[in-house]
Amino acid sequence: MVEREIAHRIFAKELNDSSSTIHSTIDEAINSEGHTPNYLLTPVGTMVNRVFIVGVITEVDNVGTDTDTWKARVVDPSGAFTIYAGQYQPQAAIFLSSVETPAFVSVVGKVRVYKPDPGSPIISLRPEEIHLADEGMRNCWVTDTAELTLDRVDAFSKMLSLCENDPNSCNCMENMVIPSNLSEGICLAIDNYGTDADYLNELRSVVKKCIVSIDLASSADGDKYLDVVVMELLEELDKGKGVEYMDLLSVANSRNINEKAVDSAVRSLLAKGQCYEPKIGIIKPIS
Amino acid sequence: MDKKFAPHIEELTKALENISRSTIEDELELLLKYRVPIDEAKRSILKKFQNDSLVSKKVNDLAIGDKGIALEVRILNINEKNVNLRGDTATIFSGALADETGLCSFTSWKPISLNPGDAIRIRNATVRAWHNRAEVSIGDRSEVELLEETYLPDISELSVTPVKKLDEVGYSDMFISSVAAVIELYHRDVNVKGKDLTIIEGVMADETSRLPFVSWSLLDGVDIGTILRFEDASVSMYRGVPSIHLNESTSVHIVEPDEHLPFTFASVNLPPKPLPIGEVLQNEGMFDVSVEGNIVSIRPGSGVIARCPECNRVIMKNTCRSHGVVEGIQDMRIKLILDDGTGSLLVMLNRELSEIVYGKTLQESESLMGKAMSANVVYDDMKSILTGHYLGVRGNTSKIEYGVTFVAKSVWVPSEDLDKRVSALLERLEGVE
Repeated sequence: MVEREIAHRIFAKELNDSSSTIHSTIDEAINSEGHTPNYLLTPVGTMVNRVFIVGVITEVDNVGTDTDTWKARVVDPSGAFTIYAGQYQPQAAIFLSSVETPAFVSVVGKVRVYKPDPGSPIISLRPEEIHLADEGMRNCWVTDTAELTLDRVDAFSKMLSLCENDPNSCNCMENMVIPSNLSEGICLAIDNYGTDADYLNELRSVVKKCIVSIDLASSADGDKYLDVVVMELLEELDKGKGVEYMDLLSVANSRNINEKAVDSAVRSLLAKGQCYEPKIGIIKPIS
Repeated sequence: MDKKFAPHIEELTKALENISRSTIEDELELLLKYRVPIDEAKRSILKKFQNDSLVSKKVNDLAIGDKGIALEVRILNINEKNVNLRGDTATIFSGALADETGLCSFTSWKPISLNPGDAIRIRNATVRAWHNRAEVSIGDRSEVELLEETYLPDISELSVTPVKKLDEVGYSDMFISSVAAVIELYHRDVNVKGKDLTIIEGVMADETSRLPFVSWSLLDGVDIGTILRFEDASVSMYRGVPSIHLNESTSVHIVEPDEHLPFTFASVNLPPKPLPIGEVLQNEGMFDVSVEGNIVSIRPGSGVIARCPECNRVIMKNTCRSHGVVEGIQDMRIKLILDDGTGSLLVMLNRELSEIVYGKTLQESESLMGKAMSANVVYDDMKSILTGHYLGVRGNTSKIEYGVTFVAKSVWVPSEDLDKRVSALLERLEGVE
C-alpha cells in the first residue's frame, strides 16, 4: 500500500531557495509497487512532493503556443509561487482562464523542478486543485505554515547543535532525538546546501515577517476600537434628533480622527444596527 | 555485479533478513558463473540460507504475516481439536502461549505433545491473522523443542492478567484488568444462537484513552458516570481498535466515590483534543479521536449515490453485484482527504454530515442533478465549494487495504483562534530580527 504524499505547508521563500531533487531508487520502486515519487529537498531538509498553499493570485498569462498553458503567480507574505497548468490539468486551466486578479486562492499542487542548466533550477507547481479562498483562510494558512516551518527550523537547529562537535561525520541518525522522518532530510540538506545557523535565522526572520504582515491584532482591534469611539461621539452629540453628519465630521476632525475612518465606522455601525439615518445626512444612535 | 540483478538481490535480502547483502551477492555471482538460470539460482540461495535466517521475536513484536520466526515461550493452555480439513478429519492443537512481553494464541497443525507450563522453543513458525489478531501457526516445517524448566517466568506469573491503562491495550492483550469511567451506555437486543438477549454497549475512558466495551450481563447499578474496576475482561480487536468484553468470568466492581483515582468522570468526559494527523497515521486504529486540517481533495465516489436495498452496497446503473437489478435507494456521502501538513487522511462522511458540510440536502442535490441533467454536477459542485477549506472531524480510524480511513461522527469548522497562536509564535521568535 502506498501512502499519499503529505501536502506540505511551506512559504515561497523556502521552496524557491531549493535546488536539489531526490529521485526514487530502483529498490524503493520495487518495494512500493512501482510508485516512484520525486522530491524537492529544501534547505531546511523538508522533502516536498506536494504542497498546499493559500495566497493571492496576482498574474495570469497564457504562455502556450498550440494549446493553452496558463502561468500564474500566487503570492504569500514571503514571495511568490509560480504555477503552470496545461491541457492535462483541465479544471485548473479553466479556473485560471476565468479568474480575476487579485483574488485569494488555495492551491494543492505537485512540485515541479526544471533545470535548463546546472545551478539555476526553475521551481513551479502543477495544480491538482485550485479554488477561490478568502482572507480568513489565508491568515490561517500563514499561521499554520509559520508554526510548521518553525518546527522544522527548530529541529534543524537542535540537530546542528548536536553535530557541532563532529561536523564531518554526521551520525545524528543514531541519536534518535529528532524523529527519523525529519533527520533524514536534515542530513541531506547539510550535505547538499551546507545549511547553517545563518540560513536558519534568515528563515526565522522571514517567518516573523510573514506573521507580522497578516497584522491580525491591529486590524481587527483597530476597527472595533474606532466603532466604539465614534459611537460615543454620536451619543455625546445627540440632543434627541440625531447628529448632522457634517457636525460629526468636524468634531471628529478636531479629535484627530480622519474623515475616512469616521465614514467606515459609521457604515459599520449602521450595518450592525447601532445607529440609523432618519433623514439623509442625519445619524441617530440607538441606545 | 551487473546492475540488472539488483532487483533480485533486493528480493533475496528482503526474504533473508539476517543474511548480509554481500554474502548473497557472492553466492549469486558464483551460481551465475556456472550459468545457472537466475530463477534457479534464487531458489537455491533461499533454500541454503533459510534455516539460518530465523528471526527471534518476543510475543508483543509479532506481526501478522511474519514468516520464519523463532520464539521462546511457555504454554499456558492447550487443547486438542478435531477439525474438518478439506474433507479429511485432522487433529490440531490450539491454546495460548506467553513470554514476559505478552500472550498470544497458537495453533499447531501437526501433533505435538505438550502440557500447560512447558517452556518451548519454536523455530520457523509463521504468524497469521485469527480474529483480527496475530496467532502463531506451527506447521509441518516448524520445529518445537522443550527448554530448561527455569528458562522463562513461571506459568503462574505469566498467566496473571495484566493491569493496564486503556491506551496500553493492544494486539498482545487477550485479557486485561483496569479501572475506567463509563461515559456512554446503551442497551441493545441481540439474538445469539437463537436466544434473545439484552446486552450493554458503551464507551469507557480513563485519563489516557477511551475504548468501546460490551457487557454480556446487565451490570446492576452501572450507568453513565459510574467508575468500574474490572478484572479478566477479554479484549477483541477489530481493524486495529481494541474493544473490551465484560463476560461471566470478568469480575466487575463499582468504585466508591471516595477512592482516589488519577481521573474523575468529569475529567475524562470531554471531547478529545485534536491530534496531528501524522500521529493518528502511526496507529493502526484509534477510537474516538479528532483532527483538524484542510480539505485537499474530494475523492471520486462522493456526491449522490445509489445503494442496494438488500445489502446497502453502492450500486451503479441500478445493478447490484449480488442482487442483480434493483431499485436503488438514493444516499449522499463525501470521501475527502484531510491534510494538516503532518499527514493526510481519508475521511468518510455519511449523509447527515455530508449535508452539513456541503450545505445542501440530498433533495436539493437531486434537483441540482435534474436541472443539469448530469450525475457529476454534485461532485463537481462539492469540489469547488469545499476544496481548500478547513474542517475538523471527530470519529474513529481504522486501517484497511487502502490505508488509514477516518469515519467521522461529527464535524465542525475549526475556530480561528489566531491571536493566541500568533502571540505564541512571536514568543518563539523572540530576539529574531
